[in-house]
Amino acid sequence: MQRYLSYIGMFIGVVLLQIFLIDNISLGIYFHPLIYVAFIILLPLDMLPVWVVLLSATLGLTMDMMTGMCGLNVIAATATGFARMAIIGFTSGLNTGVDDTIPALYRLPQKNLLTYIILMVLMHSIIYFVMESLSMAHMFHTLLRIVVSDVVCVVIVWYIVKLFVEKILNK
Amino acid sequence: MYKLIEFIRRIYVVLLFLLIEGVALYAYAHSTYYTQAKILAHTNSVIGGLQNSIFGVKHYFTLRSENELLAQRVAELETQVEFMREQQATSADSLAYEQMDSLTAQGLVQYRHMAARIISNTTNRERNFITLNKGTMHGVIPNMGVITPDGVMVGFVAACSNRYSVVKSILNTDFRSSGKIVGDDRIGSISWSGKSPYRVEMNNLSIYAEIEVGDEVISSGVSQYFPPDMKVRIGYVESYQRNDSQTANDVVIRLATDLAKVSNVILIENYDYNEVTELENAVQNGTYSTGGAVTPY
Repeated sequence: MQRYLSYIGMFIGVVLLQIFLIDNISLGIYFHPLIYVAFIILLPLDMLPVWVVLLSATLGLTMDMMTGMCGLNVIAATATGFARMAIIGFTSGLNTGVDDTIPALYRLPQKNLLTYIILMVLMHSIIYFVMESLSMAHMFHTLLRIVVSDVVCVVIVWYIVKLFVEKILNK
Repeated sequence: MYKLIEFIRRIYVVLLFLLIEGVALYAYAHSTYYTQAKILAHTNSVIGGLQNSIFGVKHYFTLRSENELLAQRVAELETQVEFMREQQATSADSLAYEQMDSLTAQGLVQYRHMAARIISNTTNRERNFITLNKGTMHGVIPNMGVITPDGVMVGFVAACSNRYSVVKSILNTDFRSSGKIVGDDRIGSISWSGKSPYRVEMNNLSIYAEIEVGDEVISSGVSQYFPPDMKVRIGYVESYQRNDSQTANDVVIRLATDLAKVSNVILIENYDYNEVTELENAVQNGTYSTGGAVTPY
């Protein structure tokens, strides 16, 4: 029960952090880290894919309602949630078949954990920024947004993951 | 049949994913800035209070510089009022100053001004919106022009709830307005490309327009959002060049203010906005009758 509450708290926490802190920091057009993806990253690695997709869509829908983006966050978050199993398989080097076991997040080696976070953040932001611009005319400009925002986002998400795993999940 | 059920059972996650993505793509494809603004206006009824408190703290630290600007603006307005009073007093056939209220009631005064505070503002998206702490219950209506206290263009009101309103910022790729160089009456189209929150573009400016780097750019005066005799500043010419077809100039304008730092704005209502736009629409749609009234066929 406490575990569920931790995840509910994390959901509310990342949404509030994104809306009231990150979105209010105006350091230019290229700075727009989408840190709420941390919630999808932190979901238990052995969670059924259908739940990951549904929770990702719920997260995206919440963000859309809060920011008036009409579906953009749902598109990016759901696709990221859907691709998560493949990314986990790629980073942990595991076959994720029925009989295989998947390590918990806190058992992943640091290097694999970092690769997992980078790929998830990258996947999410590429979909988000490309869909937002919907134009090939400013491709370089969109790429720069992805790179700058993702560098900041990976650092923030890394600390959120470490904090959540060490202080809450490992309690 | 069994095989079909088994097949669906195996791929139901993919189907669910495609369904959600399909619905979201449909919603996104059919969303306009207006629907975005409407959603923001509704959700702000819930989260606006909290944002209001957060911005209250932020606002406290910028009070000093804002007070200076407001004082400067008040001084300018006082001067204008004094000038108008003097003109009225000396003009033999002018109306008495006490009749100003009745002039407003009769619709002879075209514009109304009111102040509001920004409680939420983004500058790091492609479509940026600003949320104000005043809504329909305070007299705010859609399509009011928005400027800073020192007279710089901010945008226009896109949607209102009871207590809040959402402004479509000049830093929004859907925003369109017109502008001109001070001292030259040729008009260009103002828009934002989404690249820098400090610069906007003025396209299709006549090649005969006299431009110099550093020239001031103001609203054209033909906009329905701002009074024609009010020089609403936009920014300063940073660079310019001929467009690809060599038929007009494309001008890069450095904005006169950093929109991320603005915390108070002035709203301008044009009482004639609806009448003018209805008339324009009637002419465009072919429903205008020469009798003067706007009637459908």
